[in-house]
Amino acid sequence: MSTVSEKRNIEDHKRRLLATKFELKRKLYKSLYRDVNLPTEVREKYLCKLARLPRNSSFTRLRNRCIFTGRSRAVYEKFRMSRIVFRSLANQGMLMGVKKASW
Amino acid sequence: GGLRTFFATIVTTGLTEARAKIFGHVLNLTGQRSPHKILRKKLIDDKVAGWYPYDIKKDDPLVMARQEQERLSKLEILKRRGKGPPKKGQGRRAAKRSK
Repeated sequence: MSTVSEKRNIEDHKRRLLATKFELKRKLYKSLYRDVNLPTEVREKYLCKLARLPRNSSFTRLRNRCIFTGRSRAVYEKFRMSRIVFRSLANQGMLMGVKKASW
Repeated sequence: GGLRTFFATIVTTGLTEARAKIFGHVLNLTGQRSPHKILRKKLIDDKVAGWYPYDIKKDDPLVMARQEQERLSKLEILKRRGKGPPKKGQGRRAAKRSK
């Protein structure tokens, strides 16, 4: 039931949940650190706070994977699936409004 | 009224100041690094969390139990044939590494 790709999907999902949980705090700390008008100690304090947040709550650690196969490359954000699955479903007609282009 | 103060601010300080006062813009005349640039972006946590769709099979414990049973029986069949997963340290990669 759980293949290697499924495991990666589960991990990615966990990271997404963490990122949503800490996003607000993270933004706040980062913006306070970047403020030039604050004294240096305050800025340092916020930098430490930012560094202490869990690593998996960063948005840069997320990867848009295919929801069907778990492929990490060639995933279209609009359809949330990889190019292979997209092609198979589109040929079956399961994607609304998608047909083969010819002009 | 509001329009009178608007014109008054235009005359005294300038059009940009007046516009910022009405709409609540944050002005940065010197162009220094400002935290406002980070704070003005929209929050994306809903979109991010909603990437993977929820599997409704998870709500039904019977279906989950049946799937688990199928997985275990498949594993058993393979083991009976002698095709199950090898013991730790016996696989191809591990053997290559130990050699």
